[in-house]
Amino acid sequence: MTRRNASLGRRLMIGAGVFITAALVVAAILIAFVLHRFVQGQIDQRLDAQIIFLSSMLEVDPGGNLRLTGSADGPPFDLSRHGWYWQISGPKNVLRSRSLDGADLTPPMIGDRPLPPPPPPPRPEDGASPRERPIPADGMGPYERRLHFRILDVATPAGAATIVASSPRDAVMGPLWEAMRTLALSLGVLGIALIGAMLLQVRLGLRPLERLRRAVAEVRSGQRDKVPEAQPSEVQPLADELNALLVQNAANLERARKHVSNLAHGLKTPLATLAIALRKQTTNTEELHDLVVLMDRRIRHHLGRARSAALGGPVRARTAIASRADDLALVLGKVNAHKEITFVNHIPPGLAVACEQQDIDEMLGNVLENAFAWCRSKVAVKSSEEGRNVVLFVEDDGPGLSQEQISLAMQAGRRFDERSPGFGFGLSITSELAELYAGSLTLDRSEELGGLRVALRLPASA
Amino acid sequence: MKILLVEDDRLLAQEIARALREENFAVDIAANGEDGQHLGDTESYDAAVLDLGLPKVPGVEVLRGWRRRERHLPVLILTARDGWSDKVDGFKAGADDYLTKPFRIEELVMRLRALVRRASGHGAPRISCGPLSFETQTGVFELDGLPLKLTALEWRVLECLILRKDTVVERGLLSEKVYEGDVGTDSNSLEVIVARLRRKIGKTLIETERGRGYKLNSVTR
Repeated sequence: MTRRNASLGRRLMIGAGVFITAALVVAAILIAFVLHRFVQGQIDQRLDAQIIFLSSMLEVDPGGNLRLTGSADGPPFDLSRHGWYWQISGPKNVLRSRSLDGADLTPPMIGDRPLPPPPPPPRPEDGASPRERPIPADGMGPYERRLHFRILDVATPAGAATIVASSPRDAVMGPLWEAMRTLALSLGVLGIALIGAMLLQVRLGLRPLERLRRAVAEVRSGQRDKVPEAQPSEVQPLADELNALLVQNAANLERARKHVSNLAHGLKTPLATLAIALRKQTTNTEELHDLVVLMDRRIRHHLGRARSAALGGPVRARTAIASRADDLALVLGKVNAHKEITFVNHIPPGLAVACEQQDIDEMLGNVLENAFAWCRSKVAVKSSEEGRNVVLFVEDDGPGLSQEQISLAMQAGRRFDERSPGFGFGLSITSELAELYAGSLTLDRSEELGGLRVALRLPASA
Repeated sequence: MKILLVEDDRLLAQEIARALREENFAVDIAANGEDGQHLGDTESYDAAVLDLGLPKVPGVEVLRGWRRRERHLPVLILTARDGWSDKVDGFKAGADDYLTKPFRIEELVMRLRALVRRASGHGAPRISCGPLSFETQTGVFELDGLPLKLTALEWRVLECLILRKDTVVERGLLSEKVYEGDVGTDSNSLEVIVARLRRKIGKTLIETERGRGYKLNSVTR
């Protein structure tokens, strides 16, 4: 399946699915980032507060050693070996939190920055540390714990000192992971809900297309003559174009028929004149007249084909049979007014075939014409349904045809009896027309009336 | 018998008219729908031969117009369109018969005769009136079983009278049925024709209704 003919719904779904997933992943990453910063900020504040607390209690004893004026091991720095540590490295001595249990707290960036850093030149005007804010660092601490450090260099009367406070890495990552688990769960639920909503939307959104398809199918089968005009505004132009196409198609068909009709008129009028003028010939009148008949037959044959060929592709027509049969019988009754003919129509009024009315008139007209011409007093039509086909039976109580005569009668342009009106030739045209509709014409003997029975098989209207 | 022929093809119209006149019919020709409509409305014809593809007013419209105005003359449609839908339309508009071009003139004559006979209320093809009989299908008159030789005008008068036997046929109607539209009536007045007919079929058959017209009697007094 190429991209062009892939399902529209699938395409929309894949597109939206990818977008929703990407959006959720990006959201999760952003939220994790923000959360991380938030938790980290909280921890840093706690560590920075400890560093300030430590520096505020820092003093130098007469020996030049650093010492604290009080205890700085309040919670959480009271828990031994848990990662919450502090350490003050002075020029002469090192002070450590009790929680370190005697281990040394070495920040990891010795490669980057000498530790302790070279004491900055004391600046009497501020007297504060050269760095006002502690700097962060991450690395391995004692007891194989990953730690987060805050480091501040301070100036003391005894010289530069470095205060390091640390927290276990888990203090950041623990709450973060917990938050992220909840977040991932809710984002996952949100994603599923979004994809579900989108599926529904694609279904609903594509429904007018499905409705339009059904309408077009109905037009094709002749149940309606145009696509409904009230459509969603996105589908409206398509429906309008379809309707315009249908109108144009009908107009073309009509024009083609008119041309054919004009052609018939143009050819047949001089032919009629010729036929009458020939009468005055004393020799070979019959032969010449046969030529006229032949020409007429050729014209009729090809015009009939041309008329139906104008159909082209699939048929969108629907013609009710019963009323057409009645109309044709009215014509034939008048034409055969010299006979007393009873016409019985057993076709149910609702029965329709998928053929153009003109073609039905042509086929049924030819068959009925024969029946009226050859019957003694009775012509009957009835129908039966055979799957997707309708079979029309036209029967008469005339002499009927032998098997041999039947095969003769079906040959194009061959008139079984030259003297009788329209026999045979009409049947071969009808047969050809029926074949154009994927139908057929067969002849046999009528069980009921004893004469000819013509079975015309045509596609039923959906 | 007088026929209105509405046909726009001049050559075909002339050929048909000539053939019909050979059969003793009187023929008026209209070359378009408008003229045809007018003639059918104003003149009295026994039948009309109407082409469907006409200039100005289409044949079916001409026919509908006549029927709307209660002109009941029998109409035979002549058409190059041999589609059944056209035929159905024609008959629904009020046609009585049709022929598709090309056709045999004999068939046209036969159908016209049948139309006129049926329109005048005669079921059987043979009309008898005393010693006189008329074969409507062939147009042949017989007197005591022997064919009668008649001129076209005589034939028209006698045909008109025998189709309406035992009723008085007004002089006006009779001359309308006998003379074509563009022919003067003075040269061969009705009296002269009737007198010649009386010499051929006997004096008593045709009765003169003074001041009104003529009557063909089936029972001679």
